[in-house]
Amino acid sequence: MTQVRLNSVRKQFGNFVAIENLDLDISSGELVALLGPSGCGKTTTLRMISGLERPSNGAILFNGKDVSEQAVQDRNVGMVFQRYALFPHMTVEKNVAFGPSVRGESKAEIARRLDEILEVVQLTPFRTRFPAQLSGGQMQRVAVARTLITKPSILMMDEPLANLDTKLRVEMRRFIRDLQQRLGITTIFVTHDQIEAMELADRVAVIFDGHLAQYDTPERIYRYPRSLDVADFMGATNIYPGKVLSRNRVSTALGEIDCLHQDDRSVGESVQVLLRAEALDMSTGPFTSEGSGMRGRIKARDFFGASVTYRVACNDQEIDVTENARRMRDVGDDVHLQIAPEQVWLLSG
Amino acid sequence: MTARERRTRILQMLQLLPILSVLVILFGGALVMALLQSLGFAPWFGINTFPDFSHFGSLWGSQTFWVSLWLTLYYATVSTLLALVFGTILALALIKAFPGKWLYKYLYKLPLMIPYTVGIALAVIMLSSGGVLSRIVAFAGLIDDPGQFPQILKTHYGWGIIAVYVWKQTPFITLAVYAVLLGIGRETEEAAAILGARRGAIFFRVTLPQILPGIVSSTLICFAFNVGAFEAPFILGGGFPDTLPVVAWRYFNDADYTLQLQGMATVVSIGIVAGVILFAYLWVYRRYERRMGRH
Ligand SMILES: Nc1ncnc2c1ncn2[C@@H]1O[C@H](COP(=O)(O)OP(=O)(O)OP(=O)(O)O)[C@@H](O)[C@H]1O
Ligand SMILES: [Mg+2]
Repeated sequence: MTQVRLNSVRKQFGNFVAIENLDLDISSGELVALLGPSGCGKTTTLRMISGLERPSNGAILFNGKDVSEQAVQDRNVGMVFQRYALFPHMTVEKNVAFGPSVRGESKAEIARRLDEILEVVQLTPFRTRFPAQLSGGQMQRVAVARTLITKPSILMMDEPLANLDTKLRVEMRRFIRDLQQRLGITTIFVTHDQIEAMELADRVAVIFDGHLAQYDTPERIYRYPRSLDVADFMGATNIYPGKVLSRNRVSTALGEIDCLHQDDRSVGESVQVLLRAEALDMSTGPFTSEGSGMRGRIKARDFFGASVTYRVACNDQEIDVTENARRMRDVGDDVHLQIAPEQVWLLSG
Repeated sequence: MTARERRTRILQMLQLLPILSVLVILFGGALVMALLQSLGFAPWFGINTFPDFSHFGSLWGSQTFWVSLWLTLYYATVSTLLALVFGTILALALIKAFPGKWLYKYLYKLPLMIPYTVGIALAVIMLSSGGVLSRIVAFAGLIDDPGQFPQILKTHYGWGIIAVYVWKQTPFITLAVYAVLLGIGRETEEAAAILGARRGAIFFRVTLPQILPGIVSSTLICFAFNVGAFEAPFILGGGFPDTLPVVAWRYFNDADYTLQLQGMATVVSIGIVAGVILFAYLWVYRRYERRMGRH
């Protein structure tokens, strides 16, 4: 059980600042996702926690103890690399047994743990194969097994699912989640896929350009993004400039909308109004005139299998509405849109 | 084999034809001629006793041949090994970032561009008794007179020869190993470190097996060159008994041109010894590779 803390950590490569004053608190046993676009510094953050890279400033603490000066070998962390980094000249068994073997464990103990872990990752039939003779998913499981066999106190995974096909990705996601819960091991994983982050993580750290943009539970990040960038990265499409009319009413180009009061908003303030596509209720007449009702006409329809997203023209604006695909509406239908006040989120802007 | 595979095979052969013919005519032709001469076929000298094994007989029957062979192999092996160790250490250093690296990357290649003969001259200037090194040591007061400086050149220990070979070949091996190191990247080493491996274990269990192809090919080239090279042992060697290439050279230059055949027998002997050693080396390496699952 290890708790990890990053205290205003900063990393500079030459003149280039890769990480700027990063503060991060990871409770023991927690599964945290580092989420952000390519090049934002996710891998760099993992490398600093593992000890492969030294922070230019700031401190990294495990269970309150500063490990910034501690060598990689002494930190007892585990890392699954973005490109796996398996030893190409060793069989699956040798790869997996490498950690305990260099740590001087006894042959019998290594053999016992090897059998056990190969069983867990379902690689027993492949134990004498070389990495080049494995599929992507199998290589990845070797990488996970090789790390877990050393019983790391912190498990780090760099885009563990990036190179897998959709079905395998779902499988591995479940595998990682189960394993993490069973072992209760503090886990940090990197991804640039917000769906993956939300599905797996207890908390998500959104990083842009080396800055921590938001660190919160998946639900809060999704519903209550703190900035336009985060909202955008989490896939929000309906964002409209508006003005706060009263404690719980806001005006936008779509019309006036009821909202809940947010403490840091004042009357008259310019804001960005976020309406999640799936939070909008769409109905066809007879129209009532109460609540935040808006009238519009369906202009386009995108079918995603389980859900359908309609593009609705509304007061010269366009708004996306996602509905369950059980009922399909047609392009050209006149519709009425409503949104519950608690689903309206105001961003400063 | 299907018809399509057969067609591809024939096409591949055709594409190889130009290089094969050059190899066969130039290289194979010369080899055959050398072998024929060493077996007594030299009508242009008015000699044709083919097949005649007496040249090999008298060569292999003399004790000095075996001393020469020993010296040849000793110089070649020691210099190759030293160059390998230095070259590998240098290559490992070069993939790390350090200040002034760009300058260093040019400097270490310098010996590659300087001819062997210049290197030999440098060795004479630096290492001979009365050379720069002896004067420095004398100046430092470690010896009274440069003349007391221990003999480095022209001994059968061959320090001069080895020094020149190592000086010239270290950058070559560095270059080869460095290229392989760049190819394999740092990640497997980093993974090993995270798994708890210290520097020694990382090198011997992770890095070395991966750079072995580069090490084998570059040391093969250096060793083959060292066995056959002639200038350095000729100038810097300890005199009689000489290394085999020098022995061959002396036969070729003898006023008695019939000794040419003896020279050819020497050359062929060098070829046989070098060939056997190199093939054995490759065979061992291939076995290792197969055990590692590479084909
Ligand atoms: N050793 C280095 N020297 C110089 N710059 C580096 C180095 N390592 C990383 N960077 C830079 O730091 C920034 C962050 O890199 P990092 O690898 O952490 O990105 P990432 O978030 O993992 O991206 P991706 O999703 O593409 O893997 C990038 O702009 C990268 O170019
Ligand atoms: Mg990365």
